[in-house]
Amino acid sequence: MSEELGTGAENTWCLGCGDFGILNSVKNAVKELEERGIERKNLLISAGIGCHAKIFDYLNLSGLYSIHGREIATIQGMKFANPELKVIGFGGDGDSYGEGLSHLIFAAKRNADITMIVHNNENYALTTGQMSPTSVEGFKGPSTPKGSIEEPINPLLLMLSSGASFVARGYPGKMKHLTELIVEAVEHEGFSLVDVLQPCVTFNDTYERYNESVEIIDEPAETRFEAMELAVEEDRVPIGVLFKEEKDVYHEKVYPEFNPVKDKISKEDRLKRIEELIKGDE
Amino acid sequence: MDRFTYIVGGKAGEGVKKAGSSAANLFRKMGRKTFELDDYQSLIRGGHNFSVVSSSTGDIYSHYMKADLVVNLDGRSYKIHKDHLKEDGLMIYNSGDTEDGDGVGLPIDELSKEYSKSDLIKGVAGIAVLSYVVGMSKDELKKLVEKEYSRGVEENISFAEKIYDAAEEKIDKKFELDEGEHSLPVFSGNQSLSLGASAAGLDMYIGYPMTPASSILHFFAANKDHLKVMPVHPENEIGVANMAIGATMPGARVMVGTSGGGMALMEEAMSLAGMSESPVLFVLASRPGPSTGVPTYTEQADLRFALNQGHGDFPMIVASPGSIEESFYLTGEMLNMVWKYQTPGILLTEKHLSESSMTVDLDPSKVEWASSKEFEGEDYKRYEVTEDGVSPLKFPPSEDVIKWNSYESDEKGITTEDPEIITEMHDKRRTKDETIMYDLKEINTVNEFGEDGPVIFTYGSTTMSVREALKVGDIEARVVQPVYLRPFPIWEMDEYMDEDVIVVEQSSTGQFATLLREKCRIVPKTVIRKYDGRPFEPEELAEKLKEAIK
Ligand SMILES: Cc1ncc(C[n+]2csc(CCOP(=O)(O)OP(=O)(O)O)c2C)c(N)n1
Ligand code: SF4
Repeated sequence: MSEELGTGAENTWCLGCGDFGILNSVKNAVKELEERGIERKNLLISAGIGCHAKIFDYLNLSGLYSIHGREIATIQGMKFANPELKVIGFGGDGDSYGEGLSHLIFAAKRNADITMIVHNNENYALTTGQMSPTSVEGFKGPSTPKGSIEEPINPLLLMLSSGASFVARGYPGKMKHLTELIVEAVEHEGFSLVDVLQPCVTFNDTYERYNESVEIIDEPAETRFEAMELAVEEDRVPIGVLFKEEKDVYHEKVYPEFNPVKDKISKEDRLKRIEELIKGDE
Repeated sequence: MDRFTYIVGGKAGEGVKKAGSSAANLFRKMGRKTFELDDYQSLIRGGHNFSVVSSSTGDIYSHYMKADLVVNLDGRSYKIHKDHLKEDGLMIYNSGDTEDGDGVGLPIDELSKEYSKSDLIKGVAGIAVLSYVVGMSKDELKKLVEKEYSRGVEENISFAEKIYDAAEEKIDKKFELDEGEHSLPVFSGNQSLSLGASAAGLDMYIGYPMTPASSILHFFAANKDHLKVMPVHPENEIGVANMAIGATMPGARVMVGTSGGGMALMEEAMSLAGMSESPVLFVLASRPGPSTGVPTYTEQADLRFALNQGHGDFPMIVASPGSIEESFYLTGEMLNMVWKYQTPGILLTEKHLSESSMTVDLDPSKVEWASSKEFEGEDYKRYEVTEDGVSPLKFPPSEDVIKWNSYESDEKGITTEDPEIITEMHDKRRTKDETIMYDLKEINTVNEFGEDGPVIFTYGSTTMSVREALKVGDIEARVVQPVYLRPFPIWEMDEYMDEDVIVVEQSSTGQFATLLREKCRIVPKTVIRKYDGRPFEPEELAEKLKEAIK
């Protein structure tokens, strides 16, 4: 049903990679969003650099294939320029939780109306499996042959404490659920993060671990604090929307009812306003 | 009197800058042309700040360091500016903070004590003394203070009047200033370039504070609702540049601004703009480097850095305005350029241009509204190979799929590693570079001032210093100022190849001189350099030029 969302570009992901589940969930989510009245032409995507980012070439959607960690900034620029667009960024854990982390924290802080989908495979896959910000302690990769000596960060905890207004976790092994999360994230007005536990069959195969431990939660936590408790659970790994709240979004606080591109003032009007500034109050 | 210079100095927090800008306004209301330099340190309280305002009935392109009137708000200022007085000038010192001063002591400390903002109010003394010595009435002073110091206006008026009375009692000197013909507005370089970009249809300004570029961000923040240019202040310069690139995709005209360190952080995005063909205009406002350098002072040592921005081969346009007026028109022109060719551009300025202020004559209707080659038809390809290398644009939302890419890509914007396509796309971007060069030949890319005499090459804010030096030194010379620096207008240089060329620039290694040698084999006879963070002083520069010409 969603084949038309492909581009014909050759897919180079490893067979069994969790990225396939994300790609299919996104395609299904786009269909669902269309049914809910969000037109495909109003979706704009971006991606960082990594295995995850190849999704950009596989999705027949408009957008800008950005650079490592900066897609978070790219999609905010798109949104601020034309708030009518729904923008989705695809990141990796190295990408969004490492190289581009500051953008993520601040996008959450300012409640930019964007959706970030982070393919969290707990390693830098495209660069041959080095440890990443979310690699577990002891993770062996070419830069940590004897095992990582650092503790991983918990991205959901970090996002919750940065003021994110929508925080979710998904798993490609539960594709229908992941699709629903993506739809909800895109529909949410404000900053949304979907952290996806993405098995990387080549460098970090987590299927077994997550097949056993993920557990769908039906309702988000009532408070941010309770959501933090969900985020740090270890025996089971809760997936679903951990937290969601309504808050004013950044671009509407800057201009309550003005779309910089669509409502651009005419040249005459602009020049008149400049003349006023030049003449001052004399 | 024709030319008149006023210096006001004191501690940070004593309203020195305001005392300078109010003076500039006083002069411009007399129809005089003014130039104001604000010399301030990178601190919030204490230290020493001063403003120099030179004015004249004719054109004036620089401040002078020999003043007719110096008003010192504290003892340190007196010590620093003792030697900045003309022979028949008038020195005012704060008798509460200066012992054995030469000149006239006024009880600035004593009189300011009784006001709620006893430090900040001191600056008002500058304008009060100035008003008295140029023959304004107390009533005229009151009106001026009402306008310039509207916050806490009662106290400001009361203090100004007390200083005026004290001046009347103690000063037996007055200056009769000639009135000029038109009263023109006074703008800083940063204000002027912001207005120019606005006149070309700017939609967004994104910036992270860094002197001397911060005041651009402040300008757009203050005028957000009036101009409808969206100001954004993100987490860092990397965020700035990448947001800007994202914003161009749906069609927003975007400018960003920073100084050297911030530009270094933006460089990765600069290259992305080159590859993705994103039309972003960067303002690089230089300070003395390397590194943090001297944040609030001036230098021209980022020339090579600007010209060589970004990894990889891609077309880029770099231009530098030679006056505050030119920064208005050139910024508008540059915003147009980046949209016309869909490639990044840098407007290179220095602290001396960005933050000095002068009377300017700006005509927004002369600025072109930035537009681009837009796509019509079917089967859209973002990176379509065309004769001039410029692919038509289409903006989302659109039924067509529009893909911009940081990777090398095919015409549709899908990532590629195919050797033929890589070559084709490189050729496309190079063709665009050639188109830019071809088109630049049709417009003014080099300013020349003066008809006869030796050739002096300079650029950026130093152009103003050179023009003023020639005037005050009564030197006949031809000033050649390349406005565009990349592509460098070599086609305009033939006539200077065999001349004895003098170069004037503000860098310790002579970056501009070596550029001339590299680009057009012009080997300067003399390179006059200055790299102490201060702009050239016209009388001193005139001496150096005379020496070089001899
Ligand atoms: C500035 C910069 N530094 C380094 C790289 C090299 N690089 C490419 S992808 C990558 C890491 C990818 O890891 P992640 O974001 O987790 O994505 P994955 O490949 O695992 O999907 C790195 C370091 C780059 N492209 N840009
Ligand atoms: S290396 Fe890992 S992340 Fe990359 S495609 Fe293969 S399985 Fe997927």
